[in-house]
Amino acid sequence: MRIRTAGVVAVLGLALAASGCGGSSNDKPAAKESAKAATGGKLVIWADDKRTAALKPFAEQFGKENGVTVEVQAVSKDLQTNFVTASQQGSGPDVVVGAHDWIGNLVQNGAIDPVQLAAEQKSAFNETAIKAVTFNGQLYGVPYATENIALIRNTELAPEAPKTIEDLVATGKKLKADKKASEILCLQSGQNGDAYHVYPLYTSGGGYLFGTTANGDYDPKDLGVGKPESIAAFQKIAKLGEKGEGALKRSITGENSIATFTGKKCAFLVSGPWAIADAKKANITYDISPVPGFAGGKEAQPFVGVQAFYVAAKGKNKALAQEFVTNYVTKPELAVALYKAEPRPPALTAAFDQVKGTDPDLAKFSEAGKNGQVLPAIPAMAAIWDPFGKAEAAIIGGADPAKTITGAGKTIAGQIK
Amino acid sequence: MSTSLSGPEPAMQAPGREPVRSGLPRTSRTARNHAPITATGLVVKVVLLGLVAGIAIWVAFPLIEAKMWVGLAILLATTAGLFYLYLTPRHIPVKYLVPGTLLLIAFQVFPVLYTASTAFTNFADGHRGSKDDAVVAIQSSSVKQVAGSAEYALSIATKGDPTSGPLVFLVTDPKTRAVSAGDGEGLRPLDAGSVSVAPGGKVTAADGYTVLNFGQASVRSKEIIDLVVPTPGGALRSNGLSRAYEGRAIRAYDTGCDCIKDSETGKTWTADEADGSFVAADGERLTQGWKVNVGLQNFSRVLTDPNISGPFFGTLVWNFAFAIGSTGLTFLLGMAIALALHSPRMRGTNLYRVLLILPYAMPSFAMLLVWRDMFNTDFGLVNNLFGLGVDWFGEAWSARIAVLLVQLWLGYPYMFLVATGALQAIPRELTEATSVDGASPWASFKAVTLPLLLVALSPLLIASFAYNFNNINAIWLTTEGGPFPADNPTNGATDLLITYTYRLAFGAQGAQFGMAAAISIFIFAIVATVSAISFRRTRKQEEVYS
Amino acid sequence: MTTYADAPVANRNATGRRRNRWFAQVGWRHLVGVLAVVFSLFPILFVLSAALNPLGTLSSTELLPTGASFENFTNLFEKTAFAHWFVNSLLIAGTAAIVSIFLSSLAAYAFSRMRFAGRRFGLLTLLLIQMFPQFLAIVAIFLIFTTVTDLWPSIGFNTPWGLFLLYMGGALGVNTWLMKGFFDTLPRELDESATMDGATHAQVFFRIMLPLVAPILAVTALLSFIGTINEFMIANVFLTNTNSKTLAVGMFGLVAGERNNNFGMFAAGTLLTAIPTVLVFQLLQRYIVSGLTAGAVKG
Repeated sequence: MRIRTAGVVAVLGLALAASGCGGSSNDKPAAKESAKAATGGKLVIWADDKRTAALKPFAEQFGKENGVTVEVQAVSKDLQTNFVTASQQGSGPDVVVGAHDWIGNLVQNGAIDPVQLAAEQKSAFNETAIKAVTFNGQLYGVPYATENIALIRNTELAPEAPKTIEDLVATGKKLKADKKASEILCLQSGQNGDAYHVYPLYTSGGGYLFGTTANGDYDPKDLGVGKPESIAAFQKIAKLGEKGEGALKRSITGENSIATFTGKKCAFLVSGPWAIADAKKANITYDISPVPGFAGGKEAQPFVGVQAFYVAAKGKNKALAQEFVTNYVTKPELAVALYKAEPRPPALTAAFDQVKGTDPDLAKFSEAGKNGQVLPAIPAMAAIWDPFGKAEAAIIGGADPAKTITGAGKTIAGQIK
Repeated sequence: MSTSLSGPEPAMQAPGREPVRSGLPRTSRTARNHAPITATGLVVKVVLLGLVAGIAIWVAFPLIEAKMWVGLAILLATTAGLFYLYLTPRHIPVKYLVPGTLLLIAFQVFPVLYTASTAFTNFADGHRGSKDDAVVAIQSSSVKQVAGSAEYALSIATKGDPTSGPLVFLVTDPKTRAVSAGDGEGLRPLDAGSVSVAPGGKVTAADGYTVLNFGQASVRSKEIIDLVVPTPGGALRSNGLSRAYEGRAIRAYDTGCDCIKDSETGKTWTADEADGSFVAADGERLTQGWKVNVGLQNFSRVLTDPNISGPFFGTLVWNFAFAIGSTGLTFLLGMAIALALHSPRMRGTNLYRVLLILPYAMPSFAMLLVWRDMFNTDFGLVNNLFGLGVDWFGEAWSARIAVLLVQLWLGYPYMFLVATGALQAIPRELTEATSVDGASPWASFKAVTLPLLLVALSPLLIASFAYNFNNINAIWLTTEGGPFPADNPTNGATDLLITYTYRLAFGAQGAQFGMAAAISIFIFAIVATVSAISFRRTRKQEEVYS
Repeated sequence: MTTYADAPVANRNATGRRRNRWFAQVGWRHLVGVLAVVFSLFPILFVLSAALNPLGTLSSTELLPTGASFENFTNLFEKTAFAHWFVNSLLIAGTAAIVSIFLSSLAAYAFSRMRFAGRRFGLLTLLLIQMFPQFLAIVAIFLIFTTVTDLWPSIGFNTPWGLFLLYMGGALGVNTWLMKGFFDTLPRELDESATMDGATHAQVFFRIMLPLVAPILAVTALLSFIGTINEFMIANVFLTNTNSKTLAVGMFGLVAGERNNNFGMFAAGTLLTAIPTVLVFQLLQRYIVSGLTAGAVKG
């Protein structure tokens, strides 16, 4: 019985195995052949969801024009980390799209290669954008859009652009007293703060993040957080906080700040080009001006961020990736088309001029960012965000600025090697 | 405990319970009785083992093609093991355990062991790959265009077959419009009459060469990247498929001194194998490093770094409170509702059940975000509805209560379902028997239902405790660990050890996997001890029937 | 609240207090049920209100819908690959639920009914493996599946089969514990007598044990189905092709990043995601309740 079972199993197993092997050996090469015949090489691009949607048609057009397959894939969460991990193991994409402040980390992991742009290609971009993607003297990405925050105001409630933050608070308080609005200012903070959005106020108060070296690069050894200037800046911010004027509140978060503005509950919103679509949809009459600084303070400087295309160092099709990034992304037509998919100021001067006429908001945003600071791309910047934001939230909530910001400075310094 | 059985299988009440030698149940009589079933069993066995063989062969071919002999050996051993196991009458428990265990080893045990092994390295951003990777990255990121050199228009061509022939660069000088052919040997000028050049400068045809179109060239990407045409000033490299430039790697690795040399400044960075970096005499480090073993350094840092070990104890206590609270509260509420709805007289239980499992059916990350907004001080529903002004996530205790409440909402449908299933499995005769004896409902519950529920659910409660102990989303998507003391942004009132680890590992200068793995091992040791102790206690309950 | 009172009570002759008796026996159960439903549903009302709001913002003060528009639902199908995600999720979650309850019931049977060396150690190991943080294991998963994708592309990255295999690695985890607990409640005499009658261990398992634990198989299948549909962390790194994504990954993309205003669409998708779960629950409810009706008929 037992032996018979074994015998039958063996025979049937072999038969099945044989058929399985026949099947697999027949269809596999065929599949490979057809894949080769249908396309040239394959270019894989990773981006976040919004940009994936915007990029897809143009990437596919590039593929069609050149007889290659282009796949744009969205990684919804942790795109940067996953890109680094995947490319180190060899299953990453050929091109990745992301903010320029990733560059430091991508370079230290050998995940991206420098790109070579001809002099006339380089000069077609606005200077800030090129500066942002330059790291250690090399150009690491091709920028396509810049972005910065500005003050968006509901002109029905506040017809005049405030010159200083004090003006803004006065107008906001009056609106609140008249029951025309419930909040003075919509500047998102949340329980754990938001360094990006509060940065203009911090700079206006005199604070800085990193000093610069002789050649203009950010110097991680000169940390501004925790220095007397930063304490002074946060003392001013504290006055706007919950225990002061009540203009800055932890209850205003990234999720509700735009909604509160479009719901006409606050007259002023500090946000970027991404908020405009909602304002239009809600039929708000708005205007855009630079984020005002403190009276008698320094200029309020927002961060300027740049979105760029990078060539993966370990991509399977690097030649094609270079071709796409250096010769296709640098065309104004693409920049205009990407702008139409998602309205951010194009980094190519020609494209910017082309769309400027039809979109007055664009010029206003770029005016607001004219004196902005390029977001530092050095890896040390990663250590700033979290402690800085939490210190901001604590101070808005009424904590002692000196003690809080000194603690944050210590934490950051401890994390920077 | 004796029961009157109401099982659906009449087969069980078959007469003739003659004692049979255990292990060899097939007496001649029963073998005949069950002959058709054994045949079915045989067919199933044959088909399944055949399938195993088929899959093994399908898996084997690519392994052979890739010459991965270790993989092949593992495959052969596994397949042979499976055949032996299911053909022998012995090792019965293993037969039941093996299918899931194989998958468990491949996709859970291996990743865990791999991760644990990184605790002994400096694995982090900037130290991810091998030394060779770092050298390649340093060299290729130092390639600069030779100052004043021209930008050439490029065509990829070959003298042979477009798919396999050796590649040649056909480049056009933008000023002179002279065309040259370049390969690994160097550049050779081509006769202007033998080539046709497009207006942009790109060569479209050349005598003796086949010019590859984009599609053809793009499949040979690696060869194109590897083709470097030496020139007096440096080397001609492709930049995409239509341009070439003369570039030079400023930094190069020198095996002699085990260092990186910069040809422009003359500076050198020597390899430091203990740290996995190239370090210059003045202490400057190149950012591209590599992964090296650091022994117990990560572990000793966990113990000695006051930033890490300082708040460890407080966090641990809250972590236990959170895990026990989440498990206990969801269990109590879930069981209470299950009991309330468990009655033959109840109408509409179906509707209740559907509505009650909805919280569990919604994607939890979405609902966590909704709950976070509901606890907003000024705009949140909780404060508005009850007319409160509580700064929920701003105060330590209110934040803790809030996250537990959210956990309760998210988790009780699970316990409700499981408890409902468990109640159904308890023979009704048991509870009815005690009721008829005149016991109060509470006494009946305590005497019969609860012990049986606990037998069924206590393993689950331990598992749920373990899950909640590491429930990163519950905290990360609501409070992010906050509120934080003003002077210490690294450890908040609702931080679990896992969120705390996550912040340490990924919040600093890039991801620090080695460090995170070391902390995880510490946490793991703690949870393992606690679980092992509480698991020991379940032994008694497990033996209720045996 | 935790009183257990479903048994026939002794006061049969107290006819004057019918209403009180009704409340004592059934009414309070409805009260508990209604309260629980309210607790369960009110956050979901938000989601509904956001889904119906054409602006699609999450404004916490507005519990009731401010607009009634199906724009978000239509956008979901027109602007995203929602239909693909939906089908992928159903396929993966459905298959995973069936296969994982099979694998884990096999293991649970062995752990509950057989005594062998390393049994308790094995159980404990199963539990402890689950406790290792998953976000660290992602590096190892890349390591494994890069090789797998090179060798066997049909079970590599971006394929439902690869993800399915990965999920099956965790099938033994919690489910085995859950089921073992239920096998433990079944009286030993059942299988012992069957074994004496000459049934093989396989027959005992398939013909006696499985039918008896049908309610819990149904519950486990449902939990596994929901768990798989909601799984995000691994699916996010595994599936990057828009059309091969699952609901959790695709929909997270709608709200990912701080600058997204797709909450309306996301809310709409969330509601639609709950539909298959409810349907599966309806389908399995029969088995979950079967024990109840059987008992009722007998009593």
